[in-house]
Amino acid sequence: MPDFDWGFTLLLVSSGVMIGLMYSLIALGFVLVYKATDAINFAQGEFVMFAAIMAAASMDAGIPFWLAALLALTGMIAFCFGLERIVLRRLLGRPIIAVIMATIGLASLIRGFATLVFGAGVRAITLPIGDDPLYLGPIMLPPVQLVGACVSLVFLAGFTWFFLRTRMGVAMRAVADNQTVSMGMGINVQRYFALAWALTGVVSALGGIIWGAMLGVDNQLPLVGLKVFPVVIMGGLDSIIGAVVGGLIVGVVEALAAGYLDPLVGGGTKDFAPYVLMILMLVVRPYGLFGTRRIDRI
Amino acid sequence: MRYVTRRPLMIAAGAMAGTWFAGGAKAQQKQILIGSQCDRTGPTQLVGTVFCPAVQDYVNLINSQGGIDGYKIVINELDNNYQVPPAIEEYERHKEEGMVSTLIWGTPQAQALNPRLEQDHIPGTSPGFGSAAAANGSKYPYLFPLAATYWSQAAAGIKFVKDTLGGDLKGKKIAYLYYDNPAGLEPLPILKELQDIEGFDLHVFAVPPPGVEMSAQILDISQRYRPDFVLAHLFGRAPSVMLKGMKQSGYPLSKVLGFVWASSEADILAAGGWPVAQGYYTMQFVGVGDDYPVIKEIKAMYQKEGKPPPKEMATSVYYNRGIQDAAVHIEALRNALKLTNGKPPTGEDMKKGFEMIKDFTLGGLLPPMQVTAADHEGGGWVQIFQVKGDKMVKATEWFQGYRELVLRKVNSTA
Amino acid sequence: MFYRESGVFKTSYAADMALLPLPNTRWAVAGLLVLFVAVVPLVSDEYSLSILNLILIAVVGAIGLNILVGYTDQVSIGDGAFMSVGAYTAANLIVRVHAPFWIAVPAGGLMAALIGLLVGTPSLRIKGLYLAISTLAAQLIIEWVINHVTWVSGGTQASIQVPPPSVFGVVLRSPWQMYLFLLAFVVLAIVGTQNLIRSRIGRAFIAIRDRDVAAEIIGIDIFRYKLLAFAISSFYAGVTGVLYSYYLGIANYEQFQLDVSINFLAMVIIGGLGSTLGPIFGAIFVTLLPIMTRRALEAVGGLFFAASDLSAVIPSLRLMIFGGLIIFFLVVEPEGLNRLWRNIRNYFRTWPFSY
Repeated sequence: MPDFDWGFTLLLVSSGVMIGLMYSLIALGFVLVYKATDAINFAQGEFVMFAAIMAAASMDAGIPFWLAALLALTGMIAFCFGLERIVLRRLLGRPIIAVIMATIGLASLIRGFATLVFGAGVRAITLPIGDDPLYLGPIMLPPVQLVGACVSLVFLAGFTWFFLRTRMGVAMRAVADNQTVSMGMGINVQRYFALAWALTGVVSALGGIIWGAMLGVDNQLPLVGLKVFPVVIMGGLDSIIGAVVGGLIVGVVEALAAGYLDPLVGGGTKDFAPYVLMILMLVVRPYGLFGTRRIDRI
Repeated sequence: MRYVTRRPLMIAAGAMAGTWFAGGAKAQQKQILIGSQCDRTGPTQLVGTVFCPAVQDYVNLINSQGGIDGYKIVINELDNNYQVPPAIEEYERHKEEGMVSTLIWGTPQAQALNPRLEQDHIPGTSPGFGSAAAANGSKYPYLFPLAATYWSQAAAGIKFVKDTLGGDLKGKKIAYLYYDNPAGLEPLPILKELQDIEGFDLHVFAVPPPGVEMSAQILDISQRYRPDFVLAHLFGRAPSVMLKGMKQSGYPLSKVLGFVWASSEADILAAGGWPVAQGYYTMQFVGVGDDYPVIKEIKAMYQKEGKPPPKEMATSVYYNRGIQDAAVHIEALRNALKLTNGKPPTGEDMKKGFEMIKDFTLGGLLPPMQVTAADHEGGGWVQIFQVKGDKMVKATEWFQGYRELVLRKVNSTA
Repeated sequence: MFYRESGVFKTSYAADMALLPLPNTRWAVAGLLVLFVAVVPLVSDEYSLSILNLILIAVVGAIGLNILVGYTDQVSIGDGAFMSVGAYTAANLIVRVHAPFWIAVPAGGLMAALIGLLVGTPSLRIKGLYLAISTLAAQLIIEWVINHVTWVSGGTQASIQVPPPSVFGVVLRSPWQMYLFLLAFVVLAIVGTQNLIRSRIGRAFIAIRDRDVAAEIIGIDIFRYKLLAFAISSFYAGVTGVLYSYYLGIANYEQFQLDVSINFLAMVIIGGLGSTLGPIFGAIFVTLLPIMTRRALEAVGGLFFAASDLSAVIPSLRLMIFGGLIIFFLVVEPEGLNRLWRNIRNYFRTWPFSY
């Protein structure tokens, strides 16, 4: 075991926290959809990439950053509305498996489309903030990650308030709980589905811009979306706080594994440590730390 | 709705079935077919989108100069998306069309195609990738790496570090940052042997695929281990992420040497541009930049057609490698035609043609490699370039590192 | 008129329960067998045979996945990983102990089934899509293990060269020998699956798919049967992996990554869930799709795209068509290509009296 160095550990943990909060941003999109429509979106990574590509391509065409971000945002909302209207509405009432498989197909579709239209190269998104990290003692904070973390927290607060306090939020929860009864209560279920997907679009757009700025935008970006699953399983598929806490756990575990386990085993533990944790969580507490205990044990 | 959509579907299906019989060019009179598998999409697209057009450009250049002995060269390019089953299917298709040699793309593809190449007596090239053991021409008679394999790269890297650090590595710390897959793991045995011989301290840092997240490894290197030099064996997106990360954590890039797939202009641009990568050392197995006669000839060819030089030339690292892969096939063809006295060569003739390549440097673009029946690698030559200003500047001439050690390893796998 | 189903009388239970009860069907199957075994290898060239071989291997995998997805209604995205498990198990056995194919193939399948049991146990206890997520995790974890445990993967290259199999002393080198070898496995897979579905186990699967609460009430142990379905499907996947290694000549995990799993899922969906012909159609379709797209674009693509862009366009278009078709079939025609076939067949069944 390599020497346990407090400074280094602190560095790892802080880096893990930042990255974890950025994972939460993607997970939030996922949770929103699940919370409102009970659908598992396997194309979350591709949503993020699509938004990132739209932003990057606009920036390449000379459009200033804020406008490009707005374009990406509106593009994603339009896309999600369209998606809901054309595809998902027809899958209402079908078993959930159909929606899942549709999102799997959607993932391939988006990936192919993005490569076709925007080409295969890498693009960069440059945020209008500096590149040099801030130093707080031994901790290093790259500005991109700082922005991402802040955005995550803002969304956490915003959405929690939305679902708890606003009328629309409560209506969405009702729809997620029981579609038929909600319809009986006069809630326009279809409109709330559309809204849920649109919100996911917003979150994905922001996630895309930030992750794109951090990693560069190309069609390998969706791979980051795979990390969403350990996050939401650990946090709870339908819990917003869970998305954030799950993200933190995954981020920190990854960082610590990379720092301490990797030298032992020759590398790569960082990648699957979250998945092992996820499986353990499935055995012990399948609904995650904060998810609703609504599991039919059959 | 269902019946309406079904008929167009059937018609489309029928049309596609009909086009089965179209497409693909068979070799005709006075034409020589070379099969090329080249990925412009998929995980290696950063390379392929530049490499593949370069191959076509070189062949067009040769054809515009009259071909070889009056033969026109035809290259049929197919994309295998870095998967083996399509690679095999495309190989069969090229074979049916009558190819005499093939450009392979991808390490597992090289291994899978090897038994078929042997059975069909068709040689295949795999410059800069593939299994290092394939340098052994006796064991792998139809596989031609024709460029420094990962073993040679590792050995050359250590030699360069040794020279840069004043000629003695005893007690120095070297970090090996690598992509966690078979290609990344391959240099490890050589590095470990050299560690025993030269007495340096080696720490390895694996980056899991897809190689876009390595902040922990970079933190470890820059803050905790603080080596005297870093050897980076990364590909795909990983090199640019590494460059950015190193810059952000303050580790000087003049202490980092990237192996051959971590060292192109595209990686530097993706990392945020030339200012980010100042001082970065890159290992090349083909020359960099456009100051070579063959590049000038290709530019002239485009100019004659009234077109500007291809934009792929900007990524000269991959573009020139494409030229190299095409050029060695053409040179082998030239040699083979000498053997057959001008008659169309077979795959077997091409194999002998490859093994006759020596002193073929294309005006300095290629190293002074020498291919023999036993050494299909050609010598394992590399050159180091360093990022200065807004381009890469030659830091060394062509050299080999620890050649006897590498050859011993190559021959011992027999 | 062509396909008489009436006027056939059985005189024993065994005859009634036979796999092919109607003489019409028996003649049709016999004819197909003759076609595939004797005629096809003689008239096809090497290139078509290589494609056919790929299709045959895919059929085995698709049939296996269909047992899980079509008959028991669970989603698995980890088929690729189970294929690599099978491939590496067999490759290790072949290279270390010189195991013949009739040991290597079942061994690969069994190992995959075992790992399937391990993966399925935590996630099948809960209703819902946890299996899908767990199989995704399994895919990634298995990849990591193979990459890092050199005892399994045969060295840092993580690929093991597999010599061609030998059947009754004949080493299979030529494509048509390989073709017959693979065809044998396909026939086994089809017959096996048909019998499985008609058996008690198969009926339990279908019951779970249709109304799992009711199935539990009448005494079917859902967890056990779901696990069994998953294990069987993994067995088929393992066998597919072994067949791939025999055909490709190497066992390499990079061939069995996430997109392969999604490919097979697509085969099952597009082909039609819950029948045996469905996955066959799906396998043919999905395997031929990239080749067809490429050929079609080569023929007419010059009209739409510049020649140099063509090779870049084809894979992206393929991905798009692929994903689009999955969505299309899910939304419009959930029974997939099989439905098309059924419609054609039903038409001829009652011709010319189709009222």
